[in-house]
Amino acid sequence: MKNSEPSLIGQSVRRTDAIDKVTGCAVFVDDIPFGPNLLHSRLVRSPHPHALIRSINTKKAERLPGVRTIVTGKELSARLGLYLIDRPIFASERVRYYGEPVAGVVATTENIAVEAAKLVEIEYEVLPAVYDPVESAQPDAPLLHPDLGSYTVANFIFPEPGTNISENFKIRKGDVETCWSDCEAIAEGQFRLPPIEHVPLETHTSIALSEKSGQITLWASSQSPFAMRDMIAQCLGIPHNKLRVIAPLVGGGFGGKAGVTMEACAVVMAQAVEGRPVKLRLTREEEFVGTSVRQSLVSDIKVGCDKDGTLLGMELTYYFGGGAYNDYGVNIARAAGYSCTGPYDVPNVKADSLCVYTNHPVGSAMRGFGMPEIHWGLEQIMDQLAEQIGMDPVEFRLKNCVRTDDEIVSGMKMTPIDLEACIEKASKAIKWEKKEKPTAPNKKRGKGIAIMWKAPAMPPNPGSAAVVRFNEDATVNVEVGGQELGQGAFTVAAQIAAEMLGVPYESVTVSYPLDTKYSPYEWQTVASRLTWSMGNAVKAAAADARTQILETVADHWDEEIDDLTIEDGLVISFKSEREQPLDKMVIYGLPNEDFEGWKGGPVIGRGHFMPTYVTNLDPETGQGTRAVVHYTVGAQAVDLEVDLETGQLEVLNIASVYDVGRAINPDLIMTQIEGGAVHGMSSAFEELKFNESGEVLNPSFVDYRIATIADIPRKIHGDYVETPIDDGPWGARGVGEHVMVQTAPAIANALYDAVGIRFSDLPLSADKIYLALEEKINREK
Amino acid sequence: MLARPGLPDFEYMKAESPQDVFRLLEERGGEVKLLMGGTDLFVQMRDGNESAGILLDLKYLPGMKDISYTKKKGIKIGAAVTLNQLSAHPDVTNHFQILSQSADTVGNYQLRNRATLGGNLCNASPSADMAPAALVLEGEVSLSGPDGERVMALDQFWVGPGKTALKEYEFMTAVCFPNPPSGAVGRYLKLGRSKMGDLAIVGVAVLGYPDPEVPAGIRFRIGINSTAPTVYRVPQVEELLAKAPLSDDILRQASGEAMKVSAPIEDVRATVLYQKKMVNNLTFKGLKEVWSQLINS
Amino acid sequence: MVIHQISLIINGTEEGLQVPSNMTLLHALRDKLGFTGTKNGCEAGECGACTVLVDGEPMNSCLVLAVELNGREITTVEGLAENGKLTPLQQAFADLNAVQCGYCTPGMLMSATALLRRNPQPSEVDIQEALLGNLCRCTGYQRIIDAVLKASRNGGAK
Ligand SMILES: Cc1cc2nc3c(=O)[nH]c(=O)nc-3n(C[C@H](O)[C@H](O)[C@H](O)COP(=O)(O)OP(=O)(O)OC[C@H]3O[C@@H](n4cnc5c(N)ncnc54)[C@H](O)[C@@H]3O)c2cc1C
Ligand code: FES
Ligand code: FES
Repeated sequence: MKNSEPSLIGQSVRRTDAIDKVTGCAVFVDDIPFGPNLLHSRLVRSPHPHALIRSINTKKAERLPGVRTIVTGKELSARLGLYLIDRPIFASERVRYYGEPVAGVVATTENIAVEAAKLVEIEYEVLPAVYDPVESAQPDAPLLHPDLGSYTVANFIFPEPGTNISENFKIRKGDVETCWSDCEAIAEGQFRLPPIEHVPLETHTSIALSEKSGQITLWASSQSPFAMRDMIAQCLGIPHNKLRVIAPLVGGGFGGKAGVTMEACAVVMAQAVEGRPVKLRLTREEEFVGTSVRQSLVSDIKVGCDKDGTLLGMELTYYFGGGAYNDYGVNIARAAGYSCTGPYDVPNVKADSLCVYTNHPVGSAMRGFGMPEIHWGLEQIMDQLAEQIGMDPVEFRLKNCVRTDDEIVSGMKMTPIDLEACIEKASKAIKWEKKEKPTAPNKKRGKGIAIMWKAPAMPPNPGSAAVVRFNEDATVNVEVGGQELGQGAFTVAAQIAAEMLGVPYESVTVSYPLDTKYSPYEWQTVASRLTWSMGNAVKAAAADARTQILETVADHWDEEIDDLTIEDGLVISFKSEREQPLDKMVIYGLPNEDFEGWKGGPVIGRGHFMPTYVTNLDPETGQGTRAVVHYTVGAQAVDLEVDLETGQLEVLNIASVYDVGRAINPDLIMTQIEGGAVHGMSSAFEELKFNESGEVLNPSFVDYRIATIADIPRKIHGDYVETPIDDGPWGARGVGEHVMVQTAPAIANALYDAVGIRFSDLPLSADKIYLALEEKINREK
Repeated sequence: MLARPGLPDFEYMKAESPQDVFRLLEERGGEVKLLMGGTDLFVQMRDGNESAGILLDLKYLPGMKDISYTKKKGIKIGAAVTLNQLSAHPDVTNHFQILSQSADTVGNYQLRNRATLGGNLCNASPSADMAPAALVLEGEVSLSGPDGERVMALDQFWVGPGKTALKEYEFMTAVCFPNPPSGAVGRYLKLGRSKMGDLAIVGVAVLGYPDPEVPAGIRFRIGINSTAPTVYRVPQVEELLAKAPLSDDILRQASGEAMKVSAPIEDVRATVLYQKKMVNNLTFKGLKEVWSQLINS
Repeated sequence: MVIHQISLIINGTEEGLQVPSNMTLLHALRDKLGFTGTKNGCEAGECGACTVLVDGEPMNSCLVLAVELNGREITTVEGLAENGKLTPLQQAFADLNAVQCGYCTPGMLMSATALLRRNPQPSEVDIQEALLGNLCRCTGYQRIIDAVLKASRNGGAK
């Protein structure tokens, strides 16, 4: 192996996809031409949040000229899911959220499909609905899934049939009951957040084609084409090799394009019109109403510390509002359970993390996977506790934050991190010590800090595979199954391959679109796991290719492999100082002396990675040897102002510092940090709103505001520290989700500092802030 | 229920002369919708709130995109003038600054390349951003019908949310604004959920000018949107301000009166209480800014 | 349904096409002519992904009927780079990693191109005002502002 320092690792090389994206050449699903054979479709969606379907009459709609078929759930009994198989493709007996697909109309034009969808007659018997997860967890709540007991479920998920509880993860560690009496201060609170949307700029789009041969192809805007294939194939009983998922570049995912959203609907519709591709493209409004959301959460938190400020105990109940189907949500509740304390060292913990069915849209993965939800309350209550014992929030965190080798809440030994360094850097960057004047007399200014942790939340054994393939001129194609969503996954893959192979970065291309027919396996593009897991696979594949090359050359020169290396496309011998260009030889091999035969041949490296060391957790105590592969940690500090005349907030500075293990591409980390800070800030103001009858009130950009270019913080200070882990490429781990996890509570803490009011519920609308300010003034009068 | 993809079927026609418009309206009345920039109309058609057999495009009618100014009469702005055109026009920026200010708050730049003044006023949305300024400038609209042109003061023009005094076969050709009283200063303050670009939670236009006849020495006109079925002025508040020498207290009292007059309804953007409070605060801020500017000039 | 025969000058080349009345420029470009660089993010004038230049001015192509534009000049993202040479703006977007998923990028480039043409030395606030109608969920916008500033120092829109 090479003994020199890596030359490309730590370099901010140009994104592999930048030129395609600035020239309009980048292809997204909706950009693929299908010609005149293409059929269009439209889903008929439920107007009720909870109802029984009495009848569906498609006759009128079928008679509309141009309609090719109408599909309902009548003949489809199988359900979809990853961890808890609970979701029908089309609702047939019962609808459980406003906007749930009940039928699919296929027609020759989109307009005909739209008109026909209006003609489908569905009779409903409206049932009482439940939205609040705490209410829904009660024994007398309307039951959403009477058949819960019969659903297939992963062995680490524990639903409670006969209730709406789909998962109850427990932590029982130490002795909480008795620890309270040793506490000098105890803080208690309830914190809430509403469902919010991912809001990728590209809406969910898919095209499905079912051929008479039995081959099915699905083009989809998917973060996880292999998981999508697996779920749909299992549900519809299609052999995996007969279902091909092609996933071009994705126009933003944030978790919303993991798993299956409406793609199975497209497949079922295509099966009904064999031989013709069927396109299903969600409108922006459907994207808001009919795709998955970040779940709501109600958290009850009690935490205590001794007189020095050392945390002694925590008691927590998390009620995740999982929405109508919890196939993904159960694992979010689980992840929130085994990380329930946040990044703190707490000896005594009792926690229950529940996922509860509600009549809201399907709760699912969103950037942070349960962590933004729980940190919202955790990071505020820590400030409350610090205040009670008169300790500075930064000092309090430095004292109690988790450190390498600590035994954490799940009983696992903490993997290498340096959270203190993150806290110190972040607080320094906003001049934590300094009380600063507001920029105008009608404003108040404040500072706040929040810290976080997050582990990749996944099954114990999610795998990654990669292939490295040389071309004649020694350029390289890297094949992976992980998706480029904008985070820079392909760039990092190319960088790792080039580094390992000793070829110029520019000579490496990452093959896309992803295609389950050709791409090597990847579990999913989620959990901030690609740099780490796919990175390991690419590294292994490149090492494999490198070894093949060196073996051939060593043999050719009659030297030892250990004396050779590859640099800049040349095989070099340290010993003989001979050189051999890779050009040609990586395909044609090298001739023996006097051309008496040849050595080598086309070089193809293969590699894979799968963590093998994650263990199960005890279902009663949540304790085990290794709950997760590792954690990434970080700190954010916010300096902001509140306008007392309007209640509007402005973030003046946000410092955001994470421990990334090893920065493979520093600038890509910065782009995640910046984008995440704005996403995190935006999320503090977002809310999917419903009226009493469960209808979504704000399904458009006009009414569901996301941060615009005018709303961004005046300054974003990004930074990172590098404490390498053992099992990542060069010590690297992921940071894509972490960068927004604690932004909302950091803002809330700064807001408290500014005006002395705690906001326990998101969103932080100007409306709410202003009225609270007025109330406070009136109270004080 | 939910907005549809694309636009429903309709026939597009370009009106070449006013007679085209009247004829078509007479012949196919119910089916026809008048089109300018379409930034309201298309969105409403997608939402299923509007439908039409024919969209009749008025933008290209003679004079619809003209702006003419005279010292004596003031300014005449064609109904099809886009908000970007209007905002940048020297006669507007020189004499009707508050119109420019208001136009710049509408949506975003590319939208304003299509959105027209006439469309904004004819759409009669309670939150229309051009309306408060247009009211305090005491604008008049020119309406053209088969029986000729008529002129109507803007405060007569809106009759309810989305409803105007336009007769069946009429359309708007232009908006005229007399020169504001000499020394006038105007300000449009708009509050949305984000810093810029949102629809107004509340928008307040204040126009102030020296008037030695009244005890205050200054007269104010106040126009407010988004907090009643139509955009409105608050004459009682304007009177109150004229009656006594100005002070912060008087301005505060006046803003409080404006708040009492406002009649918002709860929507996804804000609660009733917040909207009312913001009428108060924005009115005060607007008055105060205009007053200081008048004193300083 | 009446079909209109129109011609559009797209990136300098005249293209004849037939469109129904209700076809927006967005769909004419993407579905009829294959200029798929222009993106569909909302079809309601809210996101800016569909922004193109019409006679040099940025517009939401989702809110303009193709039939209205007979004979007009349209510039799309495909019309920016010439002979493989990126405009200073495209170059700056690529150099500064102002691109993540890339879905907003074409619209951003078109709005910013128009800005630099009318105001070659924009301030940060000018850029925010000009790009207000272009949403981006990935980048946090600062890189985009920086890229426009950089382009303005390097020769502007072109
Ligand atoms: C994303 C987005 C953001 C927006 N933000 C704002 C905002 O911040 N503030 C704001 O005020 N508005 C906003 N709007 C609404 C809209 O852009 C403006 O109201 C615009 O000025 C309407 O002008 P238009 O030319 O597009 O009207 P059109 O849509 O063409 O017409 C509007 C209505 O008026 C009728 N009409 C048009 N012209 C005439 C005429 N000459 N005679 C009779 N009737 C006529 C039409 O039939 C139609 O009913 C926004 C719209 C969108 C899509
Ligand atoms: S697609 Fe036109 S603005 Fe969103
Ligand atoms: S780069 Fe993804 S939306 Fe802007």
